[in-house]
Amino acid sequence: MTAQEVRLCGLLLQEHFGEVVAKVGTHLLKSGAQNLRTIIHETGISLDLVKKSLCVLVQHGTCVFSSGRKAPGSPTEYRTSCDRILRILRYPRYIYTAKTLYGDTGELIIEELLQRGDMTMSSTVKTVADRLTQNMEEGRSMDYSEVSSAFSKLVETHFLQRSTPATPAIPGTPAAPVSTAPPTPESFPDCYRVPHVTLIGRGKRRLSNEDGEDQRNAKKTKMDSETHGDEGIYWQVNFERFHLHFRDQAIISAVANKLDQTSSEIVRTMLRMSEVTTSPTATCTKPLSANEIFRSLPSSYNIPRPILDQYLTLLVDDPMEFVGKAGESGGGMYVVNLHKALANLARATLESVVQERFGSRSARIFRLLLRKRHLEQKQVEDFAMIPAKEAKDMLYTLLSQNLVQLQEIPKTPDYAPSRTFYLYTVNQLPTARMLLQNCYKTVANLIERRLFESKESKNKRTFSTGDIIESSFWSVGVTILTIVLFPCRLDSAENQVDETIFLLESYVNSTATS
Amino acid sequence: MAEVKVKKETNISDPAEVESRIKELCQQFPHGITDQVIQNDMPHLEPQQRAMAINKLLSLGQLDLLRNSSGLLYRMKDMQSTSKMKGSDNQEKLVYQIIEDAGNKGIWSRDIRFKSNLPLTEINKILKNLESKKLIKAVKSVAASKKKVYMLYNLQPDRSVTGGAWYSDQDFESEFVEVLNQQCFKFLQSKAEAARDSKQSPMVQRNSSFATSHEVWKYICELGISKVDLSMDDIETILNTLIYDGKVEMTVIAAKEGTVGSVDGQMKLYRGVNPVIQPTGVVRTPCGLCPVFEDCHEGGEISPSNCIYMTEWLDF
Repeated sequence: MTAQEVRLCGLLLQEHFGEVVAKVGTHLLKSGAQNLRTIIHETGISLDLVKKSLCVLVQHGTCVFSSGRKAPGSPTEYRTSCDRILRILRYPRYIYTAKTLYGDTGELIIEELLQRGDMTMSSTVKTVADRLTQNMEEGRSMDYSEVSSAFSKLVETHFLQRSTPATPAIPGTPAAPVSTAPPTPESFPDCYRVPHVTLIGRGKRRLSNEDGEDQRNAKKTKMDSETHGDEGIYWQVNFERFHLHFRDQAIISAVANKLDQTSSEIVRTMLRMSEVTTSPTATCTKPLSANEIFRSLPSSYNIPRPILDQYLTLLVDDPMEFVGKAGESGGGMYVVNLHKALANLARATLESVVQERFGSRSARIFRLLLRKRHLEQKQVEDFAMIPAKEAKDMLYTLLSQNLVQLQEIPKTPDYAPSRTFYLYTVNQLPTARMLLQNCYKTVANLIERRLFESKESKNKRTFSTGDIIESSFWSVGVTILTIVLFPCRLDSAENQVDETIFLLESYVNSTATS
Repeated sequence: MAEVKVKKETNISDPAEVESRIKELCQQFPHGITDQVIQNDMPHLEPQQRAMAINKLLSLGQLDLLRNSSGLLYRMKDMQSTSKMKGSDNQEKLVYQIIEDAGNKGIWSRDIRFKSNLPLTEINKILKNLESKKLIKAVKSVAASKKKVYMLYNLQPDRSVTGGAWYSDQDFESEFVEVLNQQCFKFLQSKAEAARDSKQSPMVQRNSSFATSHEVWKYICELGISKVDLSMDDIETILNTLIYDGKVEMTVIAAKEGTVGSVDGQMKLYRGVNPVIQPTGVVRTPCGLCPVFEDCHEGGEISPSNCIYMTEWLDF
């Protein structure tokens, strides 16, 4: 929980939920677990508002509560964590992925669930059906069963999961022995079981004269008189599953860039086959035999069997080590090396940052140090074939930016500079962490700039007719640009930085577990 | 009274004869003779006389005194070199010998001083003297530009001193290296593209995109862009820089002895490759490239709201 992360979380909460929730959220982030009274006292916000903010945070899963630590029966304590809030940055990517995989229906289901935090299946289906019907032509409406089937598909592929059922805390009774870690959704056996729900009907189109009334109703939870057999079963988006999907995509595109399209298709097949059999923290997928891969290849790729074997051998021989060979049975057992692939992608990210920031010769020095681990200054100059003066300059710049570290090896116990070896080295993991924090700061800067721009443009937004006639076409156009284009541009920049954040986060997490 | 003419054997007590006998022995054994050999040849010679004769020859500069594992060796001195040193005194001879021993790497004046135990002023005088006689020369080292090493006049300085093919007159030729870099890369890239376009089986494609270091060397030699003769090792250092640029990858394969370009039964193969990822997201924003990133805070002099880099980027 670094300062940059807290700042970014504050901005994200402010954007999505408002000032008050942002204040409460950042306060909880900075001070750890606290009970209600302390929160009220320290933030100075009224009881009502704090309660509502906490409700919002809990609803979206960003805040968890547990009974107090001091003694059983002490007031419940609330705790937030950065990770969950930082996911908000990635919402557009989740929605877009759902759209590519499951079409508009899937997109809307995910969007609804992200907006509301968690919902029952029936209410989701109804809301989505209504929204789809709204966009369809007159006279057509969306059937509930279509939406339900899309929902079930999302659950089957583990993109949706049941939320942890909340155990009501009865005051006065001694708390049941609570394990230190809150129960994860996966610890419940029914996590991915679709309940039997009776949902028959079609989406209702909202008529225009009912708009005013419906606006008000849309804010309140729909008090439906019908029950559909799934009360109390709430669903939420399974972020980890989406992350696995993004990781697979990154590996496939890297293979496509490095080798060719066919190799990337083979890797895609292998990853698809191991989607549900591989645990999220596994170092590599389960071994797949070449026969199985051959059978599961998409039929559009008509590759004869010997050619497939050649492709697999080439993938194994590649220095990037995306694919490894695990045995000889079944025509050769192959695995995808997930952690190694992530490490290679993180390394490529670091190299690309150095290249863009400092130039290709500094990037050459950086890559040289990554390969050779420890080198003296003279050796760096010789290997990189850069004149001594320039090499010295570049090394010192990289050192001042903390991308390169200096290791001293003394010849004598008194560390005299003339009698010490000074070796330059690059440590990939700490450098990745540092870059990750820089990315968080970058995104926070972009968000702040966007807020600033929209505030600025609010001041310019009120035009009078006199203004429009007098001012030139050009200045009006520029103002429209600032209102419309700049926020879009900043938004898309945030998404691009988020891609980098995802790669680096996955890499750091993979080293933590391995 | 008839004196008994004791026919003394040609008593080689005559010092001149002793010396000439020793010289003959030296010529017989060009590698050098030990004291033992002289003793065997002239057993009646007393050690004193032997020593005197040897000292005389040494001082005349006609014998070389060497030491090997078993003792002292005396060797005939090359006539030519003796003529060179005529007129020089012992100290100069000593200094000259030290420089000769240093071979083609040369020796620094301070090291000469250590080895000969002569004072600095003497050394400098002797060095000037020898230089004027054109017996030694001074070569500037590329590692430390102020340092001068001395070596014999007719020797070619070693690579470590001049820097090899990449240095001309103590200057590192970076444009030359750049040009070679680009040429090698273009060669490998075109080979890889040709292999890709050939549309054969993937294994054949990959193998035909490889080029051995020998092929690249031949290509560069034929291009004729280099004034200096480049060896295969030089080309390999250039190819290594391409690897560090991330544009090329290398594998080593076992090759039969005698195949062109193989060194110790191995051959290095190089291949042009594509980058694994596109430039990453964070460098597409101004913050990723900002030189004052560390100083940027909301509400400070440099902040996101008044960032000029962002303004430029948005206006673009």
